[in-house]
Amino acid sequence: MTRFARLSRRDLLRTLGVGAGVLPFLGNLPSLAAAAGAPEKRRLVVVFSPDGVVKKNFWPAIPGPFLTPGPVRVPAELPPILQPFEPFRDRLLTLQGVHDKVGGDGDRHMRGMGCLLTGIELFPGNIQGGGETPAGWSSGLSIDQEIKSHLQARPETATRFGSLEFGVLVPNRADTWTRMVYAGPNKPVAPIDDPYQMFAKLYGQMKDRESMQSVLDELHEDLAKVAGALPAEDRRILEEHTALVRDFEQELATHKETVGHPVPVLEQGIVEQNDQMPKISRMQIELVVSSLAADFARVMTLQFTNSVGQPHMKWLGVDEGQHELSHEPNTNEAAQEKLTKINTWYAGEIAHLVKRLAETPEPGGSGSLLDNTTILWTNELGEGNSHSLDDIPWVMIGNGLGFQMGRALQFPGVPHNRLHLSLAHAMGHTSLVRFGNPDYCGDGPLTGLA
Amino acid sequence: MFPNVNDEQYYYEVYPESFRMRSPCTLMLASAAMAVSMCRPACAADHPGLAVYKEHCGRCHGDAGAGTTDVPDPLFGDLSVNQLAAYIDETMPEDDPSLVTGTAARQVAEYIHGAFYSAVARDRNRPARAELSRLTVRQYRNVVADLVASFRGRGPGVDPGRGLKAAYFRGRDFDRGKALVYEQVDPQVAFDFGVEGPDPERFEPNRFAIRWTGSIVPPETGHYEFVIRTAHSAKLVLNTAWYEPPLIDAYVKSGNETEHRGTLFLLGGRAYPLRLEFSKANQGVDNKQHELPAHASVELLWKPPHGVLETVPERCLIPHESQPVFVLNAPFPPDDKSIGYERGTSVSKDWFQAATAAASETGGYVLDHVEHLANVKRDAPDRVAKLQSFAATFAERAFRRPLSPEIRTLVIDRAFADAPDLDAGLKRSLLLVLGSPRFLFREPAGGMADPFATAARLSFGIWDSIPDEPLWQAAARQQLATPEQIRSQAERMTGDRRTQAKLRDFLLGWLRVDHGPELAKDKSLYAGFSPEVAADLRSSLLLSLDDVLGASGAPSNTDFRRLFTDDTVYLNGRLAPLYGATLPADAPFQRVRLDDGRRGGVLSHPYMMSVLSYTAATSPIHRGVFLARSVLGNVLKPPEEAVAPLAPEQHPDLTTRERVALQTSAVACQTCHTMINPLGFALEEFDAIGRHRAAEKHGATEKPVDASGSYLPREGSEATFKGARELAAYVASSRDAQEAFVQSLFHALVKQPMRAWGPDTLENLRTSFETGGFDIRRLLVDIISMAATPPKFDMAQAQAQPPELQP
Repeated sequence: MTRFARLSRRDLLRTLGVGAGVLPFLGNLPSLAAAAGAPEKRRLVVVFSPDGVVKKNFWPAIPGPFLTPGPVRVPAELPPILQPFEPFRDRLLTLQGVHDKVGGDGDRHMRGMGCLLTGIELFPGNIQGGGETPAGWSSGLSIDQEIKSHLQARPETATRFGSLEFGVLVPNRADTWTRMVYAGPNKPVAPIDDPYQMFAKLYGQMKDRESMQSVLDELHEDLAKVAGALPAEDRRILEEHTALVRDFEQELATHKETVGHPVPVLEQGIVEQNDQMPKISRMQIELVVSSLAADFARVMTLQFTNSVGQPHMKWLGVDEGQHELSHEPNTNEAAQEKLTKINTWYAGEIAHLVKRLAETPEPGGSGSLLDNTTILWTNELGEGNSHSLDDIPWVMIGNGLGFQMGRALQFPGVPHNRLHLSLAHAMGHTSLVRFGNPDYCGDGPLTGLA
Repeated sequence: MFPNVNDEQYYYEVYPESFRMRSPCTLMLASAAMAVSMCRPACAADHPGLAVYKEHCGRCHGDAGAGTTDVPDPLFGDLSVNQLAAYIDETMPEDDPSLVTGTAARQVAEYIHGAFYSAVARDRNRPARAELSRLTVRQYRNVVADLVASFRGRGPGVDPGRGLKAAYFRGRDFDRGKALVYEQVDPQVAFDFGVEGPDPERFEPNRFAIRWTGSIVPPETGHYEFVIRTAHSAKLVLNTAWYEPPLIDAYVKSGNETEHRGTLFLLGGRAYPLRLEFSKANQGVDNKQHELPAHASVELLWKPPHGVLETVPERCLIPHESQPVFVLNAPFPPDDKSIGYERGTSVSKDWFQAATAAASETGGYVLDHVEHLANVKRDAPDRVAKLQSFAATFAERAFRRPLSPEIRTLVIDRAFADAPDLDAGLKRSLLLVLGSPRFLFREPAGGMADPFATAARLSFGIWDSIPDEPLWQAAARQQLATPEQIRSQAERMTGDRRTQAKLRDFLLGWLRVDHGPELAKDKSLYAGFSPEVAADLRSSLLLSLDDVLGASGAPSNTDFRRLFTDDTVYLNGRLAPLYGATLPADAPFQRVRLDDGRRGGVLSHPYMMSVLSYTAATSPIHRGVFLARSVLGNVLKPPEEAVAPLAPEQHPDLTTRERVALQTSAVACQTCHTMINPLGFALEEFDAIGRHRAAEKHGATEKPVDASGSYLPREGSEATFKGARELAAYVASSRDAQEAFVQSLFHALVKQPMRAWGPDTLENLRTSFETGGFDIRRLLVDIISMAATPPKFDMAQAQAQPPELQP
């Protein structure tokens, strides 16, 4: 079964140069047996960037493998924004024609964000957008949380956190534009955009243990000094206390929990501000990689800014805010060029994540993390100036879902709820028949992905 | 029919383990005060075995078995009374074993076993001493809160103002410069502005915003669930800086959600900063297009630990913002309370793990707020020096004394020296300090006489916490040397909010309701007794206690006797009809004189009467046990065997009083119930929810209530009284009650055995209490001033030790 792009038993033997003749003798080799029988890890990382894309520089010109048109088809250059994915072009899949058809209250940026992963309308509410009627939170949970619940309910796929929500410069306010993940109706989940806070969540206990361990010598010295000065009657309780410290020390020594991977070392003192965005992005990416390697969670999201995000990418020579640029008409070439640069930067960050996953071996298995992880890059809008919810950008990289990669797919304007069903099924949640607003689930999961 | 209080717990909780007698004997009733402070049951002197001992045994074994030159070994061992009796019968006295046999042998065996022979007796006779103790849970939480607070500015003192400061803005934002319309103090947040808004003249009906600021003072320690009820935009920031994430973020109104919740663990009696913002308008893009006429209301509610969901009451709000308090969340196992007060004389693995988690949590909080606490920016050039100096100050406050160079090297220099970075160095130092016995344990060596030890005894006694700055300065300047200096510090310290919190906790413990018992009553008999009523009754009791403690703002004399003589009860609009008073339905708590002055303060408070009752009937036994033990300080042995109460329906012709008398008529019961029942009967004029009654219903008939009672004090002749008023008047002047109160307060404050300070301590304190007009606050100062110097016994010990335990 090669549906999942892991090495099958046959692949493995082939790469080892073992012929069919010796096959029966290898059945008992523990490593091979384990490789054959080990449950496949499937992982999904959803990455969000805001304000739509420059369509002409984003979408591949023709569907199918990334080849030139015409009678002689040779590998085509990827569209400018996707160029950072060039080294991974055979692990790349683009899905055009998958629309966000959810209507209802809220402006397009709000619905684009709140319905992006939920596929269901926003509640009416008090948040007034740049037009249309005001709205509140999403009325349903998001697909990542749906998949998380499924995985967490099963011992073989349950992980320490189930899911992790990363952010990069998400504004410090909770509203319909800043929340993409929902644990349920009216239950937005805040992404953690402070790498130090995320680090503490992931490794805080371990660090605390290390800190405690580092002071034990001094503590014993102190205890001995105090005990030495006490009358005999009072020494008893302190001796009992000292014994407890010693027990604790032994427990630390014997149960020393190893995370099985090098804990990332973060540069200290990075403050959350616009100009630090590239550094924060890389810090968060390192934490994503280490969390995947540690199997802390199999579902993650990484949210760059927010819907209507307004980073000023001065490091690219773009001084204007992204959202402001995204309103410029397609005829404004300078704006189009800048937006292309901005989106190419996001692609570059994702490509860096992909590269890090590709070079990180799968713990306890073969291949790399990327063999069992799919990154899904998306956006609240198809295009900024028209605020279109058609052709929502969906770009996948990696082989965690068993889809057939290395091509551009063109759909005839199908609702994105169906893509969510595909994601759920590929992650093993095959009993999910509807997700979000059932009216948009018509024919079930998208066909032609695998 | 189930009792409201867990009988088993009730009977055993205050019973000192070490005084439990194994065999039935005449020592069943002894004064707790005597037993604890004099260390010998009074009735040992009356034991018939004493005469036998004096006649036949003392000549060789000496007084109290101490031995003589002929038989130098002290008389002790591990034979049981029966074994001892048989042994004496056969072998003693050695020169003529026939002299003491049979009953006499039995009597002398009982006597010596109880008086000095057994291990229990010897333990009891051992001189009491103040023991090295770890911080109790209450102390730990207070200490870390105050340690962190000592690096923040001072909050408002005890403030008579109540309510919250409110700023009303036109428009949807909180722009003081441009949109402020007016400011006022609102007693609480429970507003219905209708469709037209607060004032159509000054505000657009659809566009106004209000910001309430101030502090919240929760009455008791525990988890508080806060609720904002509104259909508009709101945010509640509680106990954090305004820029930190709010406890409740209801900025987005979504769907039909109108209740937004958040829970916080809070220490009772402290002030926590609060900021509540409300905005009626669409948020997001500033556009009125979709703002249609809509109803607007906003309410701030809470569900306190032993209460029900209610509007946060005015009495718990003050219109000044205080500093955030570090409230430790790490759970601790409960402290040992087996001898009637919390003490930390044992350690366990559970406790150690909790303390380790607590150190980690405290260190984490300090690191998260270090820029503010240490007043140092992340990129400051003198960051190293500032952080180390912060760590050193933290350590000396935690250790309650200046750091010697040696200790400084250990907990500061070495912690920072090989740490990978500054933050890690600070974390190590904090963990080392919070893990040190100098922090975790109190009064090593039983106490020292230096000024910093005195300062710590004062602050732990009064606040269960570390010294504040003025007290520290007094110690540093050698101004805690004379009794006058100590007293004046103690007096200053009683004005602090934490003293009130501690005294209130003490009174709740003295009344045995600190655990917040569940109250439910028979619905057919007490239809109006809802969970809301039960919660209101507890609030009512707390308000009465606050009045006696002078905590309600008004200057008052904190007269112990007011606890009994007050004939008013705090009632609000909900309680009033149930207890026969007339108040508007929404009336806040106020004093109401009830039942023609038949009330006797806390003794007949409806909450106490309800707690000390079954669901349908009163329980004179629970009431009597409470009075005998807690109020009058008698030791009661637990019942020989569990006795199920007689069911009223099986004795329809008997009143409760008659039924209880019947139930306890056995001789074995009578030893204690001759004291318990007549005390409890005096409260029979209050039913199971504490309403006054002249008659008791029995099906179709009624029998008048007989509320006559009596009490035989430890000294003097029997007192008789009828009804709560006379009972309370008696208790208010009872020496037994005064002794019991003095002793309970001493133990609650000092957490060490009172008799360690000498056998006369109790009487000295009681006399001073009496001459001081029974002023509780003065008693507190008396106790603390005395206990601020170590007991003589320990002084001798301490002098034998190196003078500076903690260099």
